[in-house]
Order: sequence, then C-alpha cells, then structure tokens
Amino acid sequence: MKLFITGASGFLGQYIVTEALRRGHQVKAVLRPQTDETKFSWFNHPNVEIVRIDLRQSSGLVESLQSVDAVIHLAASKSGDFYTQFAGTVISTENVLIAMQKAGISKLIAISTFSVYDYVKMRSHQILDEDSPIEADPLNRDEYAQTKLIQEQLYRDFERDGGQVAIIRPGMIYGRDYLWNACLGAEIGDSAWLRIGGNAIMPLTYVENCAEAIVIAADKEAAFGQTLNIIDDNLPAQNVYAQKLIETMDKVPKIYFINWFFMGLIANMAWLFNRVFLEGKARLPGILVPAKLQARFKPLRYSNQKAKKILNWQPTYSLDQAFERSSSTEYLLAVSVPKSS
Amino acid sequence: MDTDTQKPKLKAAVIGTGLISKEHLSFLSTSERADLVGVCDISQAAANYAVKRFGAETAYTDYHQMLEQAQPDVVHILTPPQIHKKMSMDCLSAGAHVICEKPITPTYDEFKELWDFAKKCDRHLIENQNYRFNQPILALQKLVEDGTLGTIGEVEVRMALDIRSGGRYADQNLPSPVHKLPGGVIHDFITHLCYLALLFIPTFDYVKAGWNNHGGGNLFKYDDLDALIFSGHQHTRIRFSAYTQPDCFSVTVRGSLGYAEVDLFQPYIRCVVPRAVGKQLSPLANQFANGWTFMNASFTNFRRKLLQKTPYEGLHSLLEQTYQALQEDKPLPISFEDMDKTSRLVNALIAEENHL
Repeated sequence: MKLFITGASGFLGQYIVTEALRRGHQVKAVLRPQTDETKFSWFNHPNVEIVRIDLRQSSGLVESLQSVDAVIHLAASKSGDFYTQFAGTVISTENVLIAMQKAGISKLIAISTFSVYDYVKMRSHQILDEDSPIEADPLNRDEYAQTKLIQEQLYRDFERDGGQVAIIRPGMIYGRDYLWNACLGAEIGDSAWLRIGGNAIMPLTYVENCAEAIVIAADKEAAFGQTLNIIDDNLPAQNVYAQKLIETMDKVPKIYFINWFFMGLIANMAWLFNRVFLEGKARLPGILVPAKLQARFKPLRYSNQKAKKILNWQPTYSLDQAFERSSSTEYLLAVSVPKSS
Repeated sequence: MDTDTQKPKLKAAVIGTGLISKEHLSFLSTSERADLVGVCDISQAAANYAVKRFGAETAYTDYHQMLEQAQPDVVHILTPPQIHKKMSMDCLSAGAHVICEKPITPTYDEFKELWDFAKKCDRHLIENQNYRFNQPILALQKLVEDGTLGTIGEVEVRMALDIRSGGRYADQNLPSPVHKLPGGVIHDFITHLCYLALLFIPTFDYVKAGWNNHGGGNLFKYDDLDALIFSGHQHTRIRFSAYTQPDCFSVTVRGSLGYAEVDLFQPYIRCVVPRAVGKQLSPLANQFANGWTFMNASFTNFRRKLLQKTPYEGLHSLLEQTYQALQEDKPLPISFEDMDKTSRLVNALIAEENHL
C-alpha cells in the first residue's frame, strides 16, 4: 500500500513510518516545512517520499495525495492555547479530509485519544472500552481533549459522507525518552514528583506496539467503520510503573504522595467553591478540576479485546521488554533497504 | 427599568475566528444590545465551533453570503490587516457598521480612503482601540485631567513581548501574515502604543524612529522599535522590545508636579506626586502610599488570574459603549480624530524607518 502519514516527525509518527516500511508499504511522510528530515533514519529510504506541508493550510495537499491508498492521520497539537491547538488539530484535520475528498481517497486511519472519554460518568473500577461514554461537557476538560473531541466529530462527518474510517484511540503512549507519564502525577522541577494515587491501572501502550496496531489497521478491511482502543496486555498499576521508571533513573526523585480519594475530595471541594462563590469562572490547576483529575487518575479497568480481535493483533512487547528496549542503546527505528533497491 | 435594553437589539456578525474573536464573541454572546446572527471563517469547522460555543445563529464560510442572508447591523472584522479595507468596504456597502481590529489598515492612505467610503455609505467605522478603556489607563487619564501631575511634559509607552522564542509570531512553518505589514510584527502592536501615547500628548510635530531586527533572520522584518515623538516642548517615547523581560505593557506620564506609571499586563498604578505632608516628607509618603497600592495590586492580580481576567478587559467596555452609541445614535467612543491621528502617527513612524 501507499500510505500518507501525517505527523510523521512526532514521537509515535516516527515509529509508524518505520513499522510501515518494515511491512513493505510505501510511505508519503508529511513533515512541516522547517523540520530537519535528516534526523529520521528513513529520510532517504527508497520507499519514502517526504512531503513538505503545514497542514494548517491546504495548499498542495490534494496534489500530494495522488496515488495514495490510505491516510494515517496523526498530526495534532498538544501544547499552546486553545486557538493554537485548534489550528494544529482541528483545522489541520479539516484540510486533510477536504483534500482526501477532492483526491478521491476514502480510507482514513484516524488517530484519536483516550482523552475523549467521559471519566466523570464512569464508576471506579468500571471497564473502559470503545462503548464507554464520550465527554459531554468538553469545557470542563483541557484544550487537548476539547480539540480532539472536535476532531473526532470531523472523522464521523467524513465517514457519514462516504469515507472509510478506522478511529484508533491509543491509551497513554510511552517509549524511549517518553517514559514519564501524566497518569503518575506531576513532575516538580527535575528532582521531585507529586504522585497521585498508587493502585490505579494505567492505560498504557508501548510506542512500538501501538505503531504496529495502527499499521495493521491500515491494511485490514475489518478495521474500517470501527473504533478501536489500543492498549497493551497486563497493564501495570501506578506503583509498578513508577518503580520501573525509577530503576531507569540515575538519581531517585523526591516523591510526595497524595491519596487518590483525598485528592478527589480536595478537587470536589475546589469545584464546589468555584461554582458557589466564583460563578465557576476560576481557572484552577488541572488536578483541582474533577473532570481533568479523573481523566488522569481514576481507577478503572481497560479492555483491548476488540482491537486484538479485529486486527488480529497481539502487543509484541511486554512492560518489562518495553522498558528494556527504551533503556537500551539499540537503535529502534532502523529500517532495512529492500534488496531490489 | 433600564430604557437601553428596550431598544431593538442590533444584529451583529463576526468575520474571523482567531484568538481575538474569543473576546468579541464572549461580549456578543452575553450582551443585551446585540443578537449574534452569524460567524464567518474560511474554515467551516472554526465557524461551526464559534457558533456552538457562543450561541450564534448561523456559521458561514463566505462573508458575502452572510451579509446577504443575515443582514447584520454591525460586523466585527477580525481578520489579518491586509484584507481589512476590502472586507470593510463590502460590509459598509451592505449597510453594516464596521468594528475593525487594529491596525484598521496597513497605511494612512488606505485609512483615509476607507473613512471616505464609510461616510459615503453613511455608516460608522470603528477601530478597536481597546486599551484606552482599561481601568489603569482611565485612572491615569483622571490624574492628568484633575491636574495631579501638573502640565504634561513626557510620556513613555513601552511594550516588551518575548515574541522571538516561541508562539505564533515565531512560527517559521506557517508565518503569520503580520510579518508582511510595513512594520512587520511590530505593526500589529504599534496601534496600541500610538493611541495610548496620543491620549496624553495628542499632537506631534515630527518623529524619529529606530527600527531594528536584532535577532536577524528572514522571518522577522523588525523585532525592536525605539521612537521619539516631538510636540513643541513635549516628548513621547514609544518602545517595543522582544528582548527585555518580563513581558510588560507600561505607560508612564510625567508632568510638572509628578509622574504616574501603570502596567496593563499586571495592572497597578504608581503615582509620585506632592503629598499633603510637605516637600520634605513627600518622598516617604509616596513610598508608603505606593507600597500599599502594590500590596493591594498583588491580591487583585491574583484574583484576576484565578478568574481568567485578561488585559482585554477594556474591549468589553469599548464594545458596550459602541453598541449603546449605535442604538442611541450618539457619538462613538472612538472618533474619526482618534483613528486619524493614530494612523498618521503610525505612518510617520514607519516612514522614519531608522532615522533615529
């Protein structure tokens, strides 16, 4: 297949391009105009064509989609104010989808997120799966969740208009250089952590496992028309993951623990105070907003059964192996060049 | 009963849904004087979002269609400055008053042309000069008007913004359209600096301006401006810096009796004037008084931050006064003279490129 991969320079994007090449696909990798392509192992691979486009504008998009079989749309903004993230996530997606329609490309592997779920509506220890409720009140959530929810609606609209869409919702992605996870708590400078809770299961997906599932989805007819959660097997609790993370560190950080129940109580009181005395106008830190707090720390259970069944996929690397690979010196993004080249 | 609210609401529409639109739309969505009949953006998704978030009636991607179908009484133009004139003329032709973001046009000649066109259409044209309506500026004006500072001799308006190290202006992948204005990125801010300076020293004889690009590169035309404006014995300094920190937007007015200084990003007012305790003790009294003011400002600003109050507070006040004036057919809070002299000063500063 010829895959058009947006967000190819991102953390997950680099692994997806690598996985697609390993599986023999041709790749059109979308990089922004100023990105240095030489830092990617695959930049001069014979099956890779670099496409230079900033997706916040549509110029050149239709032309670059010619002869493509499917689009894996990863590009999104994770930082900046709402309008910055809206441009990087929503307008970029809108431009891609319009260009796909114009170019006659219907297959879309749309990368969403676990952030779209409504964690307040779920009971503790309930199983979160693809049928779990979607956030009904986005303004209670951060800019990332807000813009990803709008983005998912665009995917649904594209599907309604005849597109073939596989919506992939990865859990919290981790891997080399990205081992810290927001589900643990908050980093305080370089030497201290604020840990919230300890026994909640973390909805993790190791980056190589996740990339594999996404590339499989592009080639699997049964994936289209589906929404699939991508998480690994045997998910660790916060304490287990934190311990593994500490083992990779030269210097153990000072850790301040807050019990999940106590933190929830504080957040609820802050929310109530804001509602009653400040008309809900105060912008409080995320851990003091129940909807944001629960999205990160609520103890839930998770299922990847649907993805495993539809994709016939099994996460390759366990937590231990993932940490070993992340901490090793092995080059994880190596791609061999086909002999015919 | 409030008679103002009995008047028919004005039908309002917005073109452009970028960052500043949040301020205009939040006013329009709660105002008793306006009905938000349409929002237009070239992005359907952006227009749809604004409609849903702020309770507008209809989303458009073609402003001509919006003018025809929604027939707004007032249109807010929040697009890049290069297309303000064309859009404003189309809106004025369609019978709508125009509230336009700054700079209303990139050049003074275009402003004059647009103003004449508005007159011909018998419609109002208003440039957003929002900071004039911020509380610290109103307090500063009061000190000048009641003679506390004496005869005004000097004004300094200073803006420091770290625009080179990140954010929308430093984005090399999709450069902001304001880079292409005659004054580059600084042109996007200079209207604010000029109208605030002109509030306190309303005329100018000649200017000297140093425009520089200290950071180099091709993206930024200029990242630093130091300008002096002379009006008889009165001097004004306008300063924009991308390198001095922290970010600030300060105005200092010096008179024959004393001086006062305000900051619009972290609002406070510092006033050094003769006190009732006499000349010998006035310095001490000023320090006590200002210490107390600063302490109060720290609490007020903490509350402002918590409640998400931004330096755009003056915009809501400007819009409220503008809609009231339009409803009651009274003089607008921003007059032709206000816009004319601001645009002339901006033009003069740009014409004096690097003559300092």
